[in-house]
Amino acid sequence: MNRWKRLLQTAAVAGGCMLLAGAAHGQETIRLGVPLALTGALADAGAKSKQGYDICVDAVNAKGGVKVGDKRLKLELVEYDYQSETNRAVQIVQRLVNVDKVPFLLAPYGSGDTKATAVVAERYGIPMIAAAAATTSVFDQKFQNLFGVLFPNNMITDQEVQYQKQHSPGVKTVAVLASNSLFPKSIAQEFVNSAKKGGYDILFNEVYSSETADFSNVLTQLKALSPDWIYVTGYTQNLILVRRQMEDVGLSAKLVTMTSGPAYPEFGENLGSLAENVTTNAWWHQNADYKDEFLFGSSLKYNEDFRERYKRDATYLEASATVSCEILAMAIEEANSTSGDAVRKVLHEKKFDTFYGPVQFGSSGQNHVNAALVMQIQNGKLVVLAPDNLKQGNVIAHVPPAR
Amino acid sequence: MALGQYLINGLLQGGLYACLAVGFALVWGVLNVVNMLHGAMVVLGAYFTLYGAQKLGLPLYVVMPAVCAVIFLVGYGIQRGLINRVIGQPILITLTLTFGLELIVNNLILHFFTATPQSLIVSLGAIEFAGIRIPIVRIGGMVTAGMLTLLLYWLLYHSRLGRAIIAVRMDRHASALMGIRIPQIYALTFGIGAFMAAAAGCAIALIYPVTPMMSGLFLGKAFVICVLGGLGSVPGAIVGGIVLGLVEGVGTLALGPQWATSMGFLLMMAVIILFPSGLAGKKGYE
Repeated sequence: MNRWKRLLQTAAVAGGCMLLAGAAHGQETIRLGVPLALTGALADAGAKSKQGYDICVDAVNAKGGVKVGDKRLKLELVEYDYQSETNRAVQIVQRLVNVDKVPFLLAPYGSGDTKATAVVAERYGIPMIAAAAATTSVFDQKFQNLFGVLFPNNMITDQEVQYQKQHSPGVKTVAVLASNSLFPKSIAQEFVNSAKKGGYDILFNEVYSSETADFSNVLTQLKALSPDWIYVTGYTQNLILVRRQMEDVGLSAKLVTMTSGPAYPEFGENLGSLAENVTTNAWWHQNADYKDEFLFGSSLKYNEDFRERYKRDATYLEASATVSCEILAMAIEEANSTSGDAVRKVLHEKKFDTFYGPVQFGSSGQNHVNAALVMQIQNGKLVVLAPDNLKQGNVIAHVPPAR
Repeated sequence: MALGQYLINGLLQGGLYACLAVGFALVWGVLNVVNMLHGAMVVLGAYFTLYGAQKLGLPLYVVMPAVCAVIFLVGYGIQRGLINRVIGQPILITLTLTFGLELIVNNLILHFFTATPQSLIVSLGAIEFAGIRIPIVRIGGMVTAGMLTLLLYWLLYHSRLGRAIIAVRMDRHASALMGIRIPQIYALTFGIGAFMAAAAGCAIALIYPVTPMMSGLFLGKAFVICVLGGLGSVPGAIVGGIVLGLVEGVGTLALGPQWATSMGFLLMMAVIILFPSGLAGKKGYE
């Protein structure tokens, strides 16, 4: 009997210590809830987002944490793998809010999953920052708690079309092939709108399933139409296959633009010389070299830190993940509080100057400061073509390169 | 001219599909196991090919047979050590077991090779005649797949092992009475299925950017092809594969690329209703 009593006492003391430790732990950190796509179809993008979040959390904590009143609070990520399943992402956000009681959320990857989970964040009034959602329809629901760092798709496509209109005068006709999911379809539609405004003839505009195992027939169709400009959207692996099969069926064009695979180094690594002269567009590039007084110092310095840690350059995807976490930290410091209401108010009102560029959410919640980049792979490197202040080269209008 | 190109595109894709499905059909037919692990074996074969050719710098003619042999042993071991223990159970048990194994293998692939797409860059050009273009890599993939499938066909119908496999498929108990060691035949059959999956994986590594997520896609294709061609039938898998390649191609032209993959499943449903034994299957194995 005595033994049982002692055992119970020990258990009670241990439990009490754990509770105290937990409470102390909770006081010292700000917990950011994040559903990550670490497995399933979006696993690659999910891993990149995680790298972006991790580098931010470590950088903030290395400088002592986030200043609130006279304390410095460290950041802590509470993360779960949502297996690239939208329903699971929604369940995880519910868990993060109700069980883990996180005061702030970072959105899952992509427009579709962000849109689905934002409903939960809105219901519970938890501010959520989206690193990888650019589609306007995600932000037109008048939600007060959703903030997106990527500016709208049409800014990207307008920039691309305006640039090519000016620099590739021989290009008159366009063919568009888009993957059938929210972001790739939406940016392709914006591209069609921008191209129509620019006076281009749209010869072909179709969507494909992301499960497509063979593009040879649709590319044979395009070959018969011989468009000057081919625009394709989708997962990186789809885009790699499309570019390879263009070679298989002997399809060439003056311009081939793909969103957003060529912005990632693996596009070139998987295609070798076939990647040459493919153009792409992105929300960020380290060469923009924006100044950042809160963290990192500048875009170039951010990229140096990233390169040191992960042995490769950061793309807009990791950078947008980092900046979402950084903006939350900045907003908490500015609000001088970890209360959702105070931080939300700052997020709506303040303009944030970061290594990612200026970010201002405004009333819709979507960043509306345009800094769209047009880029092209030339001699194995991603070269910035526009805007003029970041220009590294001129467009070469021939895919594959003229022999 | 364009019609010829479409036909060739469909045949090349169909050849690859046939290779993909032959091993799956064999395991389903002989063991009555719906092998959910098949897609993961294909992807594992593709990654091992990439590893051998890129990291170890070995020539493809060394890497490919080695990869097939290794995966044959993996398949043999899995059947011998795990699936044989539940082989007599209802099909749901083996299905669940292979599904669980698929999750494990897929996560191991994700862990060791990451989800970033990887490719072998093999550019051999293309043959062009009468305005029709055929990439040489694809011909190579299709010829290898075709030869292996014929070899399997020969093995099944003209060797002692093949006759034993067919005998076990026809009547397990009678085969046991004839002195055939059933667990050994099951393990060898599963190993051969894995070998064929690895061969398809090698061909895929030459054509596709490889990612761990492809396993579900290939498993789905193998399933459709087997139902189309007839369960457990090697010639049926070849017929099913080529029919699926052509039908997806026609679907792209008639309804747009969005519907190409759905066409395969629609056709599968039609075949189930009209020809329950499949297009080239034998009655009794459906």
